[in-house]
Amino acid sequence: MPRLNSVADLEKLKKNLLDQSKDKKIVSITNGTDGRTHHSQDVLRAFTDEIQRQGLSGKVIVKSTGCHGFCQKEPCAIILPQEICYVSLKPEDVPEVVSETLVKGKLIERLLYEDPNNSARITKESGISFYNLQSRIVLGNNRFIDMENIDDYIAIGGYAALSKAFLQMTPKQVLDEVKEANLRGRGGGGFPAGRKWETTRNAAGEPKYVIVNADEGDPGAYMDRSLLEGNPHSVLEGLLIGAYAIGSHEGYIYVREEYPLALENTEIAIESARQYGLLGENILGSGFDFDVTIHRGAGAFVSGESSALMSAIEGRVGEPRPKYIHTSVKGLWDKPTCLNNVETWANVPFIINKGSDWFKSIGTENSKGTKIFSLVGKINNTGLVEVPMGITLREIVYDIGGGIPNGKKFKAVQTGGPSGGVLPENMLDVHVDFDELTKAGSMMGSGGMIVMDENTCMVDTARYYTEFLAQESCGKCVPCREGLRQMLRILDNITNGEGEEGDIELLEELSEFIQGASLCALGQTAPNPVLSTIKHFRDEYEAHIKETRCPAGVCKALISYYIDPDKCLGCGQCAKNCPTDAISKTEDKTYVIDRENCIKCGICLTVCPDKAKAVVLQDALYARY
Amino acid sequence: MCAREQITQGSGFQESGMTDVVVIDDEESICEGCRQTLETEGFRAEIARNGAEGLKLVERSHPKVVLVDLKMPGMSGMEVLADISEYDPSIVTIVITGYGSIDSAVETMKIGASDFLTKPFAPERLLESVKRGMELAKPAEEAEVTERVVKPLEAPEKAPLNEQSVVLKGLEVLGQYYSLGFKERQFFDELRSLESEAKYHADRLGQVKEKGHAVLDIVRDLRLVDSIIQRYAYKKNALIQILLDIQMKFNWLPRHCLEWVSTRLNIPRTNIYTVANFYEALSLEPRGAHLIQICTGTACHVRGAAGLVDRVSSILGIKPGQTDSEQLFTLETVHCLGCCALGPVIVVDGEYCSNPSTKQIREIAALCEVSCEKGENYAQVELGR
Repeated sequence: MPRLNSVADLEKLKKNLLDQSKDKKIVSITNGTDGRTHHSQDVLRAFTDEIQRQGLSGKVIVKSTGCHGFCQKEPCAIILPQEICYVSLKPEDVPEVVSETLVKGKLIERLLYEDPNNSARITKESGISFYNLQSRIVLGNNRFIDMENIDDYIAIGGYAALSKAFLQMTPKQVLDEVKEANLRGRGGGGFPAGRKWETTRNAAGEPKYVIVNADEGDPGAYMDRSLLEGNPHSVLEGLLIGAYAIGSHEGYIYVREEYPLALENTEIAIESARQYGLLGENILGSGFDFDVTIHRGAGAFVSGESSALMSAIEGRVGEPRPKYIHTSVKGLWDKPTCLNNVETWANVPFIINKGSDWFKSIGTENSKGTKIFSLVGKINNTGLVEVPMGITLREIVYDIGGGIPNGKKFKAVQTGGPSGGVLPENMLDVHVDFDELTKAGSMMGSGGMIVMDENTCMVDTARYYTEFLAQESCGKCVPCREGLRQMLRILDNITNGEGEEGDIELLEELSEFIQGASLCALGQTAPNPVLSTIKHFRDEYEAHIKETRCPAGVCKALISYYIDPDKCLGCGQCAKNCPTDAISKTEDKTYVIDRENCIKCGICLTVCPDKAKAVVLQDALYARY
Repeated sequence: MCAREQITQGSGFQESGMTDVVVIDDEESICEGCRQTLETEGFRAEIARNGAEGLKLVERSHPKVVLVDLKMPGMSGMEVLADISEYDPSIVTIVITGYGSIDSAVETMKIGASDFLTKPFAPERLLESVKRGMELAKPAEEAEVTERVVKPLEAPEKAPLNEQSVVLKGLEVLGQYYSLGFKERQFFDELRSLESEAKYHADRLGQVKEKGHAVLDIVRDLRLVDSIIQRYAYKKNALIQILLDIQMKFNWLPRHCLEWVSTRLNIPRTNIYTVANFYEALSLEPRGAHLIQICTGTACHVRGAAGLVDRVSSILGIKPGQTDSEQLFTLETVHCLGCCALGPVIVVDGEYCSNPSTKQIREIAALCEVSCEKGENYAQVELGR
């Protein structure tokens, strides 16, 4: 790979790359972590082999891309230029795709996405309802880029923002552009990135550092993983531009160790950027030097907090410190340090390329641009959605997400992860942006959006988050460490049917104390899941405490399973799937559960055929059988 | 029964009128003291008062063990050691000195001394050391091996080690440490901790494999750790990265590796343990050959991750965080693997699987057991299917 010494070199390379791929068909296969779970590696191999076998080598380019968003239907293949989108591919489908679609240009109906509402087959990705309302700006390029190939990024105009910033703009102008765009931090807090940059830029002390926070600790959010896997160069380019504006020459990317593929692809991206001279000394002949190091996180939620993250990069325990002086002024090794989330950095090249006015044209008054959410849980279309700020929750859940599966009733959406809250049905018309969500009693957070249906117990959800936070509390502040343990104890009691009158009030009192007396955001926001579930679903708490009943049928101590002999078809699915062999056949060929051995994992209920629905959930206390 | 009989019993070591021990020291009191102590235990000892005399005596009487004072008028102890080693490497040499400096100790180890006695020493200590020396001399004589008594560590150890020889091995390790570039650490502290370390690890590792390889394994492990640390250019701030790499290699963080990291990076052990305790990805306990992780992120939770944990637990017979008694499986729960659209998710040795049926879980367990027998990981078996 020749070093690119000037903008002209970069443009020449781009032109060459475009010439090379001209008139060629492209098959983009989703091969991120989600795809691989469904054997996308095999599909990819099948394509490469089959294309060679059918003599199409040199005419078709196969790309191994990151996630396109609709993870549930992966592995998908998009065939360009026609934009045909095949979903849920299997290796055995591949020969047909090659011979029919690539050679003859015919569609294969059965592999197209089927709209669940009208059973229509949809040819193009853009026609799928899941993508309809989305504005895929940051995530949109994943489709066109081979995860490991820097050339693909350059071919679609990558690093153009970098050359524009470095050679046509002063650092101050870059900073002003980002400030003007009012880009707010996508990691949770929503602090304006431009102001952060400015503080670091003006702070005394050298060297200055820039950091990409990819410690996506929020359980239920994975857009950062997807971006780093599928399009790591967009993050690198954003980081470089930020470094230029701030005057930093050294950067770090803090990636969770739980994301092996993201780590691998980021490493490859950094290496290839170095070879092109896009990292290192005198980048594109601008005289600006910059390089970046990867730091792997080792599994600590609290290390996603800025001061804790910096402490981890220094090789110490990732505990937060008081921030009377912000990390922008005194951060890594007490030097001015600017830390932004992956998605925030990835937005920067677009702002530089298209200008702050374009960016400001998207979104609401105080929240500009788009935001990626991970729309997961009890929802038909699960995946990553990138929507303009200001879209309503209802649009996200019903129009994009396609509503709740199996005709169940919607209960709530949880946003903001362990720091956020739940939004019940009467709040579905909230416009999603930083301020509106906070006003509604939740928060934007890093973008996790977990949909819950009638079978989700809200007390269990609160218990789940509290347990998570009690485990992840670093223990530095006693109120957070001990307070959360006590809250967990109370919630354990409630879900075990041992709750007492006054527990709810005690939870509220503890919450107030933890919020007020903790140092970092983990503690300050830790009671939110409990408080918001109490606020909106107090009746569920009361049912647990007063009636020892779990209305959603989740809390194990309060439920039991029973097979209705009148409905049982005798198929034996339940017995086959029971891990403890607690289900046996009776003389009249129906099945029965042995309560002694039942661990209440619920698999019998899940596997019982819909036409039978013989397995029923009962309240343990009132179990008749 | 006297010590000598104990040693010679059933070993083919025949009485031949030879001298057992030669003591070379310029101080008469030491020489006489040693002789008396040794003779009461049935060893035949001869003494020499300087190096040249001592060498002659050695040539004449072919002892098994020679005790050499380091500081003597005329020929120095070091020269004597070198000459003995050249004359007959099977003779076990033990150094006695009043000046315990790091450099001299390491030097003597390098030229073949097998033990180090600091004056003044108790008669028990002397006897212990000589008995050990006699034992070491034994096989060398049987096989008429001409190589050095302290064999290079690369040579595989056949006979299982007893505790004493494990301690001795600790001393050898020290010599190896020197070859790794061992410098200004406090020699004797190091010696003592190594002795206990060697014993500890021999015991621990002895449970799972032949004890004899324990010490060799430790040295090999430490070399590996060194290569990892080198990759990070000995930077202290790379501690977490280094620990992650060690964990990747060993599947957990063995104690000797952590102590080695502490020595190499000059980070107090307590700091290393604080870090290792803090981060969830780091394990201070051995994990099974197969790592089974279940994601308990929120998305997986609402889709029944708890039930999946129950099912896997009951099939494997272990709870999350536990390893089975045969060290086949370790079951862990992880806070979000970022595969939220596929929940609930289980990861077996890095292979992701979405919402497995009970049958699949049983298959995974069976496959893992098969692959364990073959020494492969699950992913390899899965791919080779």
